[in-house]
Amino acid sequence: MLIISLLKGVPARTTQIVTVGGVLNREQMEIVMNPHDKKTIEAADYIKRIRGGKIVLVSMGPDAKLTPIIKGLFHSEVEGIDEAVILSDRKMAGADTWATSYTIAKGIKKILAVNKTAVDRLIAALRETKESFQKTAEDLYTANLLPNKIYSPLPSVKDSIVTQLVQGKRSLDETERMLVDEKQNLLQFVIVTGIKSTDGETGSVGPQLAEALSNELGTTIPHVTYIHDFIISGRNTVSAERKILGKLERVRIPFPCLVTIADEYRSRSVPSAAKKEVRANSYGGKILQPQVWNCDQIEADASKVGLAGSPTLVGPGYDIGGPRVRKMVGQSIVTVREVKAFNINGKSYGPFKKGDLVDGLDQRALEHLKQGDDIDTFDYKDLITDLFG
Amino acid sequence: MSESGSQDAWVYMEHQAGEFTGPSLEVLAAGRKVADKLGQKLVAVLLGTNIEKLAHIAIEYGADQAIYADHAELSNYGCLQYTRVLHQMAQKKRPHAMLFVADEIGRDLAPRLAYRLETGLATDNIELEVTDYFYPPTKTTYKNLMVQIRPDFATRVARIYTPRTRPQIATVRPGNFKPLPKNPMRKGEVIRFSGSLVDSDFKVVVEGMEDLPKSGVDLQGADCIVSLGLGILKDGKGNPRNPLEAYKLANELADTVAAKWGMKVEIGSSRGLIYAGLKELEGIITVDRQVGQTGKTVSPDIYFALGISGSVQHKVGMQRSAKIVAINLNPKAPIFEIAHYPIVGDLYEVVPKIIEEIRRG
Repeated sequence: MLIISLLKGVPARTTQIVTVGGVLNREQMEIVMNPHDKKTIEAADYIKRIRGGKIVLVSMGPDAKLTPIIKGLFHSEVEGIDEAVILSDRKMAGADTWATSYTIAKGIKKILAVNKTAVDRLIAALRETKESFQKTAEDLYTANLLPNKIYSPLPSVKDSIVTQLVQGKRSLDETERMLVDEKQNLLQFVIVTGIKSTDGETGSVGPQLAEALSNELGTTIPHVTYIHDFIISGRNTVSAERKILGKLERVRIPFPCLVTIADEYRSRSVPSAAKKEVRANSYGGKILQPQVWNCDQIEADASKVGLAGSPTLVGPGYDIGGPRVRKMVGQSIVTVREVKAFNINGKSYGPFKKGDLVDGLDQRALEHLKQGDDIDTFDYKDLITDLFG
Repeated sequence: MSESGSQDAWVYMEHQAGEFTGPSLEVLAAGRKVADKLGQKLVAVLLGTNIEKLAHIAIEYGADQAIYADHAELSNYGCLQYTRVLHQMAQKKRPHAMLFVADEIGRDLAPRLAYRLETGLATDNIELEVTDYFYPPTKTTYKNLMVQIRPDFATRVARIYTPRTRPQIATVRPGNFKPLPKNPMRKGEVIRFSGSLVDSDFKVVVEGMEDLPKSGVDLQGADCIVSLGLGILKDGKGNPRNPLEAYKLANELADTVAAKWGMKVEIGSSRGLIYAGLKELEGIITVDRQVGQTGKTVSPDIYFALGISGSVQHKVGMQRSAKIVAINLNPKAPIFEIAHYPIVGDLYEVVPKIIEEIRRG
């Protein structure tokens, strides 16, 4: 089965942000893996250990920045990812969550298509010579496109579909039917994502990708957010727990689906009984070089990707403003009593209430107030009065 | 959806056990502001079972109209079912804007709905305005756009616009708007809507729900918050301090304020201090005390920031506090930019002085 894990490259440091009109320019910053995505690989690995299959990582962004990050994930603390696809195209830059979800959905659609096409090629080779058929199977296996149960050079896998045919245990028609079934099985995928990214902090891409992919595949891909614990129950169901609105919710969600994994997720241990099935469903190895696909390669509508395809726009931002009055203990000058309005050389001042900040007054006015003992330095006593009245 | 012919500001109202949730009433108040600026109707949208009465109560809380869908299948929240019905409602009535609470439900539902409606979503807004907006690429001025103001990583506070598509969908963070007073005399139209669900809307099955143990910390209900940051680890002479000392000081301050003025005081924390994983503070400074973008948004009467440098993420969570007292050794700490009472100094000396002054006064 396909286990698709999403990764976002985020700026390493908030002090180093480069923006162009409010949009992050990822090409000019040091980029790291979104910290919330670390758990997705752990969750993906759990699914792989219990069900077999391969973990395909998908990321969108400048491939030069993402490739080094992704290469480190082929051999991470868990078994790591098996393949990676980077969706990289200048047209994709500046995407909001809608355009991002659309683009990633197109990418995932292509991953499914590539794997389906591989099985189709094998089906087409069925009626060629035995040698040619075996050669096709071997090539596709080497390209990581066939699981062991279809073809395997491993001595421990004795009854692959190809072996059974070659040994005359199955007819051509039977084999074809089995391969068509396997092709359909590719649709039983799971997508794992982090709950959000540390740069956008929206958490919207998970649900939006599920919707975008439903649209692309013509079938409803359900999603469940904030999962902190799950098992795979039955053949193709995720049984999960999540915390929402102060409640613990237990949900069941069938494959194909998308789940977002909370930071507190810890993968469970895997019962060893399922080993044979895991091996059958698994693929030959890892493709260590990420594939880079552009807009055309995923057949994305250029008007729906990147800044152009984003329904939202980021306008000029602003700083959070400071308070109008700022009093500093031991420094600010405040009135100690009510002071009536007064005039100096035709310029009027006041009136002032008790505790008013008069730092900004000119020297003459301050001198006048000082002579009347109307002002003093703001001290702790004044602070307490100001705070609690 | 295209922008032509859309009108009204909609608010999706969450409810539990026959009552609106507090944050929903806040978002209704936010919607009131938007509707008034648009000169259009504020519409409360409700989904569930047996909610007609509640729809009328939405009017009392400030809505001009309430639209509700009452189906047995909608008794509990399910993203696919709720998205289906809201999508049907929006397609039929074409709202100009649509607001959700930025909680686990709003963050689940609004994105899926926005994608299906092919429109923009701005999450976690702290303020909403209405303005005309000139969009340079098409040289078009869009009338009466909602300005969606949210904390942003890149530009500190960002304004997000959804110029070309409708509805403009936004989630609003709790703690930024005050619910409007309930007025039983208010009149408005209550409309029942019949949605139609399909089998695939029931793919996710909720097998059970149980209450989680409630946190004893109520930051949003506090009159005064004493918050701690990583600055508590050192004193003015640069000597390392046991963070428990600062925690005890903060508690002493809290207790003194509570005893003297009968205020409800809570201890808060910056994200940095919580995730520093300090042994001494284990089980004391817990996630439920976190103030900031990923924690709680608070607006107490008084906010003490002790040793908090004031990242943007922290500031957006407490900047609406009526009076902010910040104590920090670093005169350049960003927290001072928003503090009404900045105190550059050693919190281990300053806090005892404040406590002493409160007791004396």
